[in-house]
Amino acid sequence: MLRFYFEVARTAYRRQLIYRWANLAGLLTNIFFGAIFSYVIIALYHARPVVTGYNVQDALRYTWLVQAMIMVVLPFSWFDLMLTIRSGEVVTDLSKPCDFYWYWFSREVGRNVYYVFFRFLPTYLAGALLFSFGLPGDWHSWLAYGLAFPLGAMTGITYRFLYNVIAFWIVEARAMVTLASVVALFFTGSYVPLPFFPAWLRAIADWLPFNGLMNIPVEIVLGKLNGNMLWLAYSRQIFWLIVLTLIVRGMTLLASRRVVVQGG
Amino acid sequence: MQIISWRAVLHDMLLYRRLIALQIRAQLQYKINVLIDIGTYLAVTVLEFGALLLFFGPFPSLLGWKIGEVALLAAIMSISFGFAEMAGAGIDNFSDTIRRGEFDRVLLRPVGAFTQVIGSDFRLRRLGRITQGTIAFVIALRLLPNLHWTAAKLLILPISIISGAVIFISILLLGATLCFWTVETTELTNMLTYGGREMLSYPITIYSQTLQRFFLFVVPIAFGSYVPTCYILERPLPFGIPSSVAFAAPLVALVFALVAGIVWSFGVNRYQSTGS
Repeated sequence: MLRFYFEVARTAYRRQLIYRWANLAGLLTNIFFGAIFSYVIIALYHARPVVTGYNVQDALRYTWLVQAMIMVVLPFSWFDLMLTIRSGEVVTDLSKPCDFYWYWFSREVGRNVYYVFFRFLPTYLAGALLFSFGLPGDWHSWLAYGLAFPLGAMTGITYRFLYNVIAFWIVEARAMVTLASVVALFFTGSYVPLPFFPAWLRAIADWLPFNGLMNIPVEIVLGKLNGNMLWLAYSRQIFWLIVLTLIVRGMTLLASRRVVVQGG
Repeated sequence: MQIISWRAVLHDMLLYRRLIALQIRAQLQYKINVLIDIGTYLAVTVLEFGALLLFFGPFPSLLGWKIGEVALLAAIMSISFGFAEMAGAGIDNFSDTIRRGEFDRVLLRPVGAFTQVIGSDFRLRRLGRITQGTIAFVIALRLLPNLHWTAAKLLILPISIISGAVIFISILLLGATLCFWTVETTELTNMLTYGGREMLSYPITIYSQTLQRFFLFVVPIAFGSYVPTCYILERPLPFGIPSSVAFAAPLVALVFALVAGIVWSFGVNRYQSTGS
């Protein structure tokens, strides 16, 4: 069975390969927005050299890492599952001799792997070239990142699944999807880096599931989380990954019991 | 000759009004949906604006611009862009029109193609951004208690908001024209609209001189936000431009719209339909 899920992931990966031009366009958009935020950050740092341990280079790296990870962790307006629910195609997926959730999960893993190579790496590279901030951290922090990034990406998949599966109950949920993406983006530091948040807001953000999506991995690779802080961060990520997976699986179970196919 | 063309313009404007009224009535059939959409869009844009304010927690100023001043700039930009998004939706959708081959039908009707395209959609939910812009404006005023208002400053507000919207719609039109050759909407258009909005929500002096010139003289989005904000705040403009140039915004918008219109009609004449 594991072999089957592996093949699903591989097919999803290869399907993405076809959209070369779309990816290039998306890449340019990421770079463009990364550049805008960089200009803002550079201008802000004219007034103050260091903020909560972040100098201008750290802040630039933070921005570009987030910008590079977005397509992997929190792709904006991901409706794939919702559209199959609305069209009724979901029934064929539900009746496949495999687990519905793990089927979608594998698909998204394949897609994520694609975006690591063709979006994450080139975006960061472009930023590093444009604003010459180089590579952060030492091999320790990259190793730690190697665990935190996949955890964030997997949590991202469950979150994506969660706001799509709502379509079983509400047919037109696009507005909700947009809001769900934006709230997550906000609380994982893609508008304003979390270290810049005022203390009270940071305290809330730390406990939200979104923290682990991008902020924790990025803070780890920048070498800002060490020792106990690092273990706390991992625990938060794993906690939310498990909780969201359970919620999503519960909802899928509920939905598949009451699903009624419209047809004619 | 002159009289006939004016009559055509008047006819098109009346038609446009009817098309829009139709769109609004259609969307109001689903009142709850429209309200949810407006509310969501409001929430999304408020979060964006909130993020902008958050930067001023740890940092005292942005190249000399204080929080209230940046808020005012972003507010004016939001309102202007909101109107452009609301009215320009039909142009924004143009790639679909081309792909489905619907533009062939548009050309067969005895009415200007532009009027039909811009009249084909009008997104009420964009009221969300306009509302956010208005809220942001009020917040900006609270943050700028010492701002001295004059009649000229009050006048510059509507002038620049409308001019800015016209410039954004012209960019959409240029992007739509590209669809005649590329079929797809290009990301280039999105960068100039969404990217331009994002960029010019901050003072343009934070960007390189080339970019500043670009947004002042090539794609003059700055005339819808940065230039009038500088006039209101009595700040000097870059390159020694006198700040009263803010009153030239309608002229700038008109010239840019004319260029876009010429390019568009060139595209329409060259259009060879899609399909096999």
